[in-house]
Amino acid sequence: MKQAGLDLGSVNTKLVVLENGERVYSQVIPSRFDSVQAGINLLKSYVEDHGEKPEKLVVTGYGRVNFPEGRVITEISCQARGCHAYYPDNAYLLDLGGQDAKVIKKNPEGKVVQFIMNDKCAAGTGRFLDIILKGLDLTAEEMELATDAKPMPINSMCTVFAESEVITMIAKGIPKPEVIAGLFKSTAKRLANFVESVGYPECLIFTGGGAHYSLLVHFLERELKGNIVIPEEPELTAALGAALLA
Amino acid sequence: MDNRELWTVLGMDLEKHNDFLAPVPAIFTSLFLERPNRPKTMGYFDMIVGDVHGIRVHELYAMKEAGVKVFSTFCVYVPEEIVVATGSASIGLCAGAQYTVSSGEKVLPRNLCPLIKSTMGFKLDRICPYFQVSDWVIGETTCDGKKKAWEILNEHIPTYVMDLPQKKDFKDARLWEEEVRDFASFIERETKVSITSENLAQGIQKINNKRQALQRLANLRKYNPAPIHGLDVLLINQLSFFDDPVRFAAQVNALCDELDVRIKDGIGVASADAPRILVTGTPQPLPAWKLHALIEQAGAVVVGEETCTGERYYKDVTEPADNVSDMLANIAKRPLKVNCACFTPNQGRLEDIAFMAENLKADAVIDFSLQFCQTYGVESYFVGKEMEKRQIPFLRLESDFSEEDQGQLLTRIEALIEMIRA
Repeated sequence: MKQAGLDLGSVNTKLVVLENGERVYSQVIPSRFDSVQAGINLLKSYVEDHGEKPEKLVVTGYGRVNFPEGRVITEISCQARGCHAYYPDNAYLLDLGGQDAKVIKKNPEGKVVQFIMNDKCAAGTGRFLDIILKGLDLTAEEMELATDAKPMPINSMCTVFAESEVITMIAKGIPKPEVIAGLFKSTAKRLANFVESVGYPECLIFTGGGAHYSLLVHFLERELKGNIVIPEEPELTAALGAALLA
Repeated sequence: MDNRELWTVLGMDLEKHNDFLAPVPAIFTSLFLERPNRPKTMGYFDMIVGDVHGIRVHELYAMKEAGVKVFSTFCVYVPEEIVVATGSASIGLCAGAQYTVSSGEKVLPRNLCPLIKSTMGFKLDRICPYFQVSDWVIGETTCDGKKKAWEILNEHIPTYVMDLPQKKDFKDARLWEEEVRDFASFIERETKVSITSENLAQGIQKINNKRQALQRLANLRKYNPAPIHGLDVLLINQLSFFDDPVRFAAQVNALCDELDVRIKDGIGVASADAPRILVTGTPQPLPAWKLHALIEQAGAVVVGEETCTGERYYKDVTEPADNVSDMLANIAKRPLKVNCACFTPNQGRLEDIAFMAENLKADAVIDFSLQFCQTYGVESYFVGKEMEKRQIPFLRLESDFSEEDQGQLLTRIEALIEMIRA
């Protein structure tokens, strides 16, 4: 039997299909402000390739309520379930998505026991990092140099204010790698506080698109004074969890 | 006099008022009237809301014409017994609309509690007939934002401020009793009615009856399946500040009679396995229905409010006494039993929440804080810790009166419900 999980995110839409518990298909496409349409397209192209719809479907993520089919489960439960498949012994996970950040504490069965999510605004989310990095127009070399650069502190976590802080730094002639290091360090500090308002994990699961920023992971490990584990494809764990719950 | 004539006499901005009220009937219809299985006796409360700026305002206006005064309040600490004793009216004011927040921000900082901004906006915009019909606002010092906002409001309407202490020691109780006695003298002066043991005993009785009716209603919510929607009770709690206390108590008791029958027959508005949520924290003044509506839309049922538009308003009554002096002393005692986050320390509130959670068989607690509310925002730390200790699933939410964050709130509420059901 095939079970599908569809995660309709604010930035990307993801589909994972399992057959007898094993992953047989996964795909990520940009949501382009319409995750519902992106989800419909993903399912359609799956059916074109495989001839039939998966028997069971769970939809999750930002666009879940408007999706025409499937059982609806929040991204909190799905994320916990998906991460549990990788790391059953770790209790805490941090998910850094496009427009929200969340910390979830799960029990040994993979059930959610506590969670928190960021406030209304994009501060400290994937979108925040994307906007600022895009504005900086970095070369691969500058990005690499940032690993060892001295981080310039960025005090503002409001996307708009942080952007103007960064612009001021660049105008002052501060090297871009130092600015980037500062950006990630400040974000890591904020995320670490966010995690520690729920608990103090020895080993934290880090997931969502944000987990791809290796510099962020580096600073986050330092801030938390603990280990971080990242699933193979961290942007897919909620979709995987949805498929497992289907 | 029809409504428009009345509003004109009250100096309201009719155009803005129309704009403000225009969406209300549709919202009220979909949130309340269209829900199946509501108790028939909700009809009275629906009627009041259906003409929320009419019926009761006409009544108050007529009372004023006959020579009494109208005092407006914002807080469960204000002793309405004293006002009612003189034959005057004590009403709560609208303070829960996003519409007026931006006007409030003309004179107040943006980073301030939306309740205060909404209140100020209602007065500046002249779209609340209750404000317009009022002779006085009775303020109190429950938070710094309100305390300072009264000074600005006083430029637009006479505002009397009661100084509520911040601790509950003996000397604080003494100060508060003084405040209550001063307030009684002030009311006598303003209304030109002397407070006697007869009229004050009646005032206490009327308000006690109202509070007891609300207690009775609150206690019926412990039954499963829930005999009434939380949103309906919230509406009643909100209206309890506006309506004539005697008529209101009779209507609440009539509703309770109907619910008694429902409970006996095992009839509910939600299924017996619907998650039961206790809401704690800051008040939801009219017309703030968002939180309850979202919780119940998500398939849960709200079984109690540990808020000022709930339990804190009615949980205690005033003990009777033989003479005016003792009655005033007892009137002063009641509010100091109310556990508002403006007090330090405030351990009693945690006990209240724990008791309510158990009595109402709540599956989870949602601690709600209005944005920028420092006292409840900070105290949420202790509420969370207490719930963890008692292993009660807990969710902290912060919001204002706007509609934009409904999706985000709903995600959190649904996740909490999944947690309970898992």
